[in-house]
Amino acid sequence: MASIMIGARSLRNGTTRAFIILFVMLLGLLVCGMLGLISIGPATGFSILQNFATLGPVALGLGLTMLVREFDISISGMFGLGGCIAVLVGALYPALGIVAAVMFGLIAGAAQGGLMMWLRLGSVPVTLGGLLTFNGIANVLTGSESLRFTNNKIVSLINEPLLGFLSLRSLAAVLVFAVATLIIGWTRLGRDMIALGSSRQAAVSAGVSETPIIVGVFATSGALSALAGAMLSYSLSAASPSGLSDVAVPAVAGVILGGASLLGGAGRPAGTAAGVLILCVLATGLTALGVSSAIRDFITGGILLAVAISDGPDLGRRIYELKAIRRRIGGGAGSLRPLEQSVARTTKQL
Amino acid sequence: MTQSVNRATVSRHLTDWLANRLPAPSYVRITTVALLVALIATTPGIFTPRSLITLLNSAALVGCVAIGMTFITVSGNILSFALGATVGLCAITCAALSGFGAVASVLGALAVGILFNLLQGALVGFLKANSLIVTIAAATLAGGLAEVATGGQAVYADPGSLDALKAPILSIPMAGVVLLLAALLAHVALKHTLFGQQVIMLGSNARAAAAAGIRTGAVTMAAYALAGGFASLTGVLAASRYGAGLFEYGTGYDYSAIAGVLVGGTSIVGGEGSIWATLLGVFVIAILSTVLLLRGFSTQMQLLATGALVLAAVLSQGRWHRS
Repeated sequence: MASIMIGARSLRNGTTRAFIILFVMLLGLLVCGMLGLISIGPATGFSILQNFATLGPVALGLGLTMLVREFDISISGMFGLGGCIAVLVGALYPALGIVAAVMFGLIAGAAQGGLMMWLRLGSVPVTLGGLLTFNGIANVLTGSESLRFTNNKIVSLINEPLLGFLSLRSLAAVLVFAVATLIIGWTRLGRDMIALGSSRQAAVSAGVSETPIIVGVFATSGALSALAGAMLSYSLSAASPSGLSDVAVPAVAGVILGGASLLGGAGRPAGTAAGVLILCVLATGLTALGVSSAIRDFITGGILLAVAISDGPDLGRRIYELKAIRRRIGGGAGSLRPLEQSVARTTKQL
Repeated sequence: MTQSVNRATVSRHLTDWLANRLPAPSYVRITTVALLVALIATTPGIFTPRSLITLLNSAALVGCVAIGMTFITVSGNILSFALGATVGLCAITCAALSGFGAVASVLGALAVGILFNLLQGALVGFLKANSLIVTIAAATLAGGLAEVATGGQAVYADPGSLDALKAPILSIPMAGVVLLLAALLAHVALKHTLFGQQVIMLGSNARAAAAAGIRTGAVTMAAYALAGGFASLTGVLAASRYGAGLFEYGTGYDYSAIAGVLVGGTSIVGGEGSIWATLLGVFVIAILSTVLLLRGFSTQMQLLATGALVLAAVLSQGRWHRS
């Protein structure tokens, strides 16, 4: 019983919950493999990590903005634009393509953060404007057409398996998570970010410098989304202004599964990584099982909804109320609780 | 002498009256509108019936969703990512029910739209579940449901069954009439009913609203249900225009609706806003697109201009406004 209680309490801690769900997912994958429903090997891991390379950096950027109690809606716009810039510039100088995309993401993200601080505006409206603007720029740059990336040497280089399950692309994604984990967990900057997200006013009073951190976080988020978009474009040898993959919903899902909250201060890069991996394991497993995209939607949506409901601050109160109603109906009028009985008696005496 | 005093009083009253009615310091907004008027005046061909009807039609589809979105934004829940999905679901329902006549189609679509959003509102209102996550989850589930129900194919309406829904009234396109009626209804609901006042109070300070005895859960749920009702009108209009229902008809409406709300000047943090402002925002965007189209700019440039306009509208609400 006690262990169930401890289990229930640690489910409240998002990062732990993410790792528990991830463990269950991997177990499920293993069971499916042992039952012979799907074949499991290094290729399965490779496929999961390729998915992770697309989604992970985008989710990490969003997770960092949520850690400081902001929200970056522009991630999917920057993801598409990053791919387009990389392919356009990379046609001549492949290495420069990725650098250009990341630099643009960095500058545009910093501009968004700067505008928020300078004009005291919320991040949702500013990044919504950013999203539509980035999408417009990507459409103008490409003439609303899909682009081909023809440098086959780069394409095979970026997709080539390393150690069987990694690739250059997924290695880069793992590296950015490692760096983020180090910064958030072991530096003063990380502490400051968590403080800002937990209570902006208290943190500022305590001497945390707000502006550089917020600008830096949005610059990082822009750069990470652009990086993911650029790497995906090199990997699939194409780019499209609307992005080659719908990243917005799964990125939000991954971050929330990883324990972040719109209330700020919660969620760590490790949790975000686990949250994204849950979705990647799910996607790979369901694809291997030959499940339709509709069922995948149901499962992703269902998980998100379950997390949203279980995180609802008023959930406990509603359950308590339901129990109270059931008690009253079940017990009938004769079984008033002692306090109510004494109140009834007093009223009668009066 | 008295006359000049009177004139001064009158003019002061007039300035006060105007100052009370115009949105707070809005040099940026006035400049925007002036620029827009200048653009319209110098663009040939915008006053032809054909461009006006195109303009009205495109504004009407976004407009109904934006009216619904206004309730969600004003109630303090930022935005819903599920109104586009509502449009898609309702277009499918409308087309699927067309065999039972236009009335049944409309009622069926309304019921689906209201119920779908009412359930989300219940989770947001009673459990205080995160509104962005709930609506993203709902949109994903709706996509799966539509895929299962239709197999990803368009559902074709019985030929001619939905014609009554696109016939012009007094040579005004049906979509425009629907938009106007919806806007009137929404305006009355928001500004002249107890419910509307409760939505505004909830958005400006949820804790104070609860302390004042407002049933916050029920009000949130009703605001979502109403938003769903307005969004389903767009679903019906789309289904009758194309004679079919497809989930993808709803794609992009979330963003264009919230763009209209923001360009209109409604604050994203909730507690204030008006239906007419939202409508103004939607029309400003639609007019800008039409002007750019008539002046020979590409669709890409229109997208970029809309993005820049939304960004400018957001930035104009910043601190320089208040100081």
